[in-house]
Amino acid sequence: MNEKKIKVLLSAYSLETHSRGIVTVASMLRDAGMEVIYIGNNRPEQIIEAAVQEDVDVVGINSMCGGALELGGELMRSAEEKGIKDNMAFVMGGIFPPEDEPKLKKLGFKALLKPGATSEEVVGSVKEVVEA
Amino acid sequence: MSEEKTTKEIFEEKLKEKKRIPLYNPDAIEKIKEGFDEWKNTKVREKDRENWEVTPYTILGSEIPRGMLYTPCDVADLDYEADVGFPGQEPFTRGPYPNMYRGRVFTIRQLSGAGSPEETNERLKFLLESGATGTNLALDLPTVQMFDSDEPESVGQVGTVGVPIDCVQDMEVIYKDIPIDKVSSSIVTHYPRNSMIIFPMFLVMAEKRGYDWKTLPGSVQNDITMENIVRRAPEYIPPADDFRIQCDNIEFLRKEVPRWNYITLNGYNLREEGTDEIMEMAVAFANGIAILEEMQERGYDPDWVAERMAFFWSVSNDFFEEIARLRAARRLWYKIMKYRFDSKKPRSQLERCHIQTSGISLQRVEPYDNVIRSAFQAMAAILGGTQSLHVDSYAEAYSVPLEEDSLLALRTQQIINAETQVTQVVDPLAGSFYVEKLTNIAESKVLDQLEEIEKEGGFVKAIESGWMHNKIASYIAKERRKIDDGTIKIVGYNYFRRPDVKEPPIKCQEVLEERRQRQIEKLKKWREERDNDKVESCLGAIVDACKSGENVTYKTIEAARAGATEGEMRRKFVEAFGMWKQPLVI
Repeated sequence: MNEKKIKVLLSAYSLETHSRGIVTVASMLRDAGMEVIYIGNNRPEQIIEAAVQEDVDVVGINSMCGGALELGGELMRSAEEKGIKDNMAFVMGGIFPPEDEPKLKKLGFKALLKPGATSEEVVGSVKEVVEA
Repeated sequence: MSEEKTTKEIFEEKLKEKKRIPLYNPDAIEKIKEGFDEWKNTKVREKDRENWEVTPYTILGSEIPRGMLYTPCDVADLDYEADVGFPGQEPFTRGPYPNMYRGRVFTIRQLSGAGSPEETNERLKFLLESGATGTNLALDLPTVQMFDSDEPESVGQVGTVGVPIDCVQDMEVIYKDIPIDKVSSSIVTHYPRNSMIIFPMFLVMAEKRGYDWKTLPGSVQNDITMENIVRRAPEYIPPADDFRIQCDNIEFLRKEVPRWNYITLNGYNLREEGTDEIMEMAVAFANGIAILEEMQERGYDPDWVAERMAFFWSVSNDFFEEIARLRAARRLWYKIMKYRFDSKKPRSQLERCHIQTSGISLQRVEPYDNVIRSAFQAMAAILGGTQSLHVDSYAEAYSVPLEEDSLLALRTQQIINAETQVTQVVDPLAGSFYVEKLTNIAESKVLDQLEEIEKEGGFVKAIESGWMHNKIASYIAKERRKIDDGTIKIVGYNYFRRPDVKEPPIKCQEVLEERRQRQIEKLKKWREERDNDKVESCLGAIVDACKSGENVTYKTIEAARAGATEGEMRRKFVEAFGMWKQPLVI
């Protein structure tokens, strides 16, 4: 009767210095019984490579200091090339201007998490995007 | 390391013989004790008696239990001269200077820098005209991580959370018309490597404007804690090499730019990443000790080195705890200098600090509440005797501060200073039974934590082994669970949260691709106009110095003069030292 564990890959883009947010999210997801793989800072194509290799359900990206749109675009292009854009769910957390939110959604990020998101919200949205 | 004595053991040995003169008469203490028991058993309700000690749970707090009331019995052996003393005199508990804020009010140093070098120059001048007394330069992410604006990794991040600096010409624009011999410049070059690359560009700018380096006041961060513990990045150099880079900077600055604070031992970012305030101070002190030992090995007197050492702390919500541990830090550092390094010079025994209010404690929900949080934190920093202060903007969880946000933060400081009058009296909370007791507890806890690090093999080893990274990850998880279950109360967030709460419209810093394009064009022109052979040979000299053990900072000065860019220099360190794999603990 065991449900399959949700497998999540977490990464930030190359230059992101902060990691408190991503480490916090990792602990929330793990406490909720998910398998979490954290690969530190990487270029978009490296993140996608790791996602393919680990065969995850969800890719979670942290972006605190700008570049969310530009690098998000590269990430999605890379995901498309590898043919995983539609069978993995992409989620982004961090600080980004409110006017960028619809653009990020349009790029293909299924959920956007902001500072202060509760465990319930974080876990809930990851489950939701997996089920969708 | 293992056969060497820990700091705590050194203290125990050296202080064992010291006769203490208790402030309170033992007969009086005896009488108060009787009266206290009587009062507690007859006047205090049972419930309060049973829950006499309560553990406060706060963001980034240390969970030191508190009694309901403090009396002289809690500090019965207080020795005024040995434990408290006078300000500007050992043990410096009451402050590094005799007159404190009557002599010179804390430096109002708002972190700024966003957009282009031109916009940053405008902002610095705006803050100075509005009454700021020092500048504090924030760098954008590529500059912090030592990447040039035209590297592919920098896309979307040029000028976003700080100012881009690629080469000397950017420094010239940022500091244009600012009298850098009068207004002190803090440059937030977090890492040793970054300090070694960026600060030379400042010095080359200064020499071009005709300033003598020896006249320049300011500070750089230059802290390996930042580079190898707190920071995430695509590449790291090994901690031991980075520690050496940190010390090369110190040696160079002490000799060539003597008024400059060559390191800001950074507790702030470590704590904001995820530690309590005890670990924050213990790690910074451990690094300070390691530096002085290394400099001793290089043949320098610790008293000469330490006079320009400065610390950087975060102040969060537990008001009295923050005040107490700022007092404790001064006393503990004094003891470290005196008993561990046989310091003779009072100036070297001073623990001087810059404080920034806690960004992590600020919430995205109901952001205006943050104005209150920051104001209390700023008040604690001032009652604790800080030398310099930055108040975070209430919109921290939305964007880097815009001009009006910076003004509000500046006004917070000015209101505390000019209207509340708390700055008139030095160390006004001394003698409070509670504050003195808490000061004692904080000091002994930091010392115990320091001992744990020393037993791990010392500061650099505690980084290499991943011990620090583990501590942080487990603190973050523990704290997060306490926020989830409401043990840590955050007003508006998990305590009295409104079900229909909406985010107010808050203006955010715009990300402008044309900023990056302009920066790239400037950089391209710069590269065309410089003598590229000269640049190459200067870059080669950096690698040689890294390998030979010579002081590398002299080589990066040459490279900056020749026009080398930040990214070009960064790659040379990796070439010389190779890469280190940071432990990724979650």
